[in-house]
Amino acid sequence: MTKAKVTKGKRIGMTGDEAVANAAAVINPDVVAAYPITPQTIIVEHFSDFVHDGEVDTEFVCVESEHSAMSACVGASATGARVFTASASQGVALMFEILFIASASRLPIVMSVANRALSGPINIHGELTDQTVCRDTGWISLFSESAQEAYDNTFLAFKIGEHPDVSLPVMFGLDGFILTHALEGVFPLDRKFSKDFLPEREMVHPTIPGNPVSSGLLALPNYYMEVKYQQELAMDAARKVIPKAFEEFGEKTGRYYKSVEGYQMEDAETALVTMGALSGTTKFVVDKLRKEGEKVGMIKVKTYRPFPADDLAKALKDVDAVGVIDRDLTFGAPGAALYTDLKTSLYDYKDRPQVFGYIAGIGGRDVLVKDYEYIYKQVLKNKGAEKAVPVEWIGLRK
Amino acid sequence: MTKNTLNDKEMQEWIETEWGYEKLPMGGSVPYPGSSKFFKTGDWSPFKAVVDREKCTKCTTCFFLCPDSAIKMDEEEIPVMDFDYCKGCGICAEECPSDAIEMKDLTK
Ligand code: SF4
Ligand code: SF4
Repeated sequence: MTKAKVTKGKRIGMTGDEAVANAAAVINPDVVAAYPITPQTIIVEHFSDFVHDGEVDTEFVCVESEHSAMSACVGASATGARVFTASASQGVALMFEILFIASASRLPIVMSVANRALSGPINIHGELTDQTVCRDTGWISLFSESAQEAYDNTFLAFKIGEHPDVSLPVMFGLDGFILTHALEGVFPLDRKFSKDFLPEREMVHPTIPGNPVSSGLLALPNYYMEVKYQQELAMDAARKVIPKAFEEFGEKTGRYYKSVEGYQMEDAETALVTMGALSGTTKFVVDKLRKEGEKVGMIKVKTYRPFPADDLAKALKDVDAVGVIDRDLTFGAPGAALYTDLKTSLYDYKDRPQVFGYIAGIGGRDVLVKDYEYIYKQVLKNKGAEKAVPVEWIGLRK
Repeated sequence: MTKNTLNDKEMQEWIETEWGYEKLPMGGSVPYPGSSKFFKTGDWSPFKAVVDREKCTKCTTCFFLCPDSAIKMDEEEIPVMDFDYCKGCGICAEECPSDAIEMKDLTK
């Protein structure tokens, strides 16, 4: 029998996937509809054990594809239920059309994404592109640096998404294999915490018997814009709700998060900017470079949507040059996802650093300490350049 | 939870109001039942389903298949189409086993 790890206070060894499954078990959602896919499989597999063993009261819906998984989530969430799912890569791609419906219908479904490179060529390893391509779906989007953060994000995602001013679905990523399959000591939370932190979801117009509501409707040119603008306002509201959720979570658990986290940024002249699991190694490298006398810091972007533009501008205003390390791809664009958003965000500010882009860790390729050191050296070399410097692919063979 | 219903007049007004993003129910949902009654699909097509009362065998196939519930069976159990809602799709005519329904261009 699988016992849900719900004790508090002592660290328990869990992989990232196990951490998310355990967090979901503590939350005890009303409905989980999911389809297994590497490297997310353990999340649903583990969670279905909890269902089988009666550790959760969740209605677990086995579906035949991710398209159906997300559709079932939409239907369940429209009744006011608390709904969770998980996917990765091709699975998220197959859900794509329903992702837009979930956000437009304002359903706070939570999905963990075991970030994996997209086919083709087929690959099962870590890359964030499966989540960065969802940037236009209207979902709130968070990333995790560690299994602990993935565990905590499971709670935070419900907290943020279900806030009545927000009412949006939330996805949070954990890098495939690097986080999903690596064992880490995780401080668990318990049901008491969950009940207190996540009060019952309140939905304005739930679709339940005896209360006819039409949702997911047709909206032609005379209404489509208004519905879409409501989504933009919800994202604006999320900008205010997210820091409050992080603050409350910190007060209750001692683990404080920020949409934009600075590390060794005091007196830093140069900064590296990352998302997801790369951030852990970046911190290590920054410490190493600091010991060597380099004035370098780093910024971890935890919240990808809504993009924390102002927080980033503030965090980087005293820095001369920035190297953005993207573990994601987009073709024919001015640069990768984080790089282009960051650069755009800084444009209106007078005090802004020069920004250089680096693409690393694609298709799960290792990013080693020497790669970060190389990137840092490149940033120093490019500093002061008067022409645009093309985005550089790190560790690429000719 | 309060049950929301509107009478016909209120519903008509509610539908005709051009709601802005502030007052439009979240996600564009309609929190009242019966709004489709005011959605007259009859103006979608000039073609209307017309029944030949002699040929009809009262089998009710058309009644069950009409996607817009535009068909009622009269006191003689013969279908009558409500042209406010008959959108002219032709499903009933296609499926009628007795060939008793003709799609007529009523604008001619
Ligand atoms: S044509 Fe279509 S809409 Fe009209 S009565 Fe026949 S089935 Fe119904
Ligand atoms: S399907 Fe044809 S025969 Fe049957 S009730 Fe309708 S019109 Fe009459």
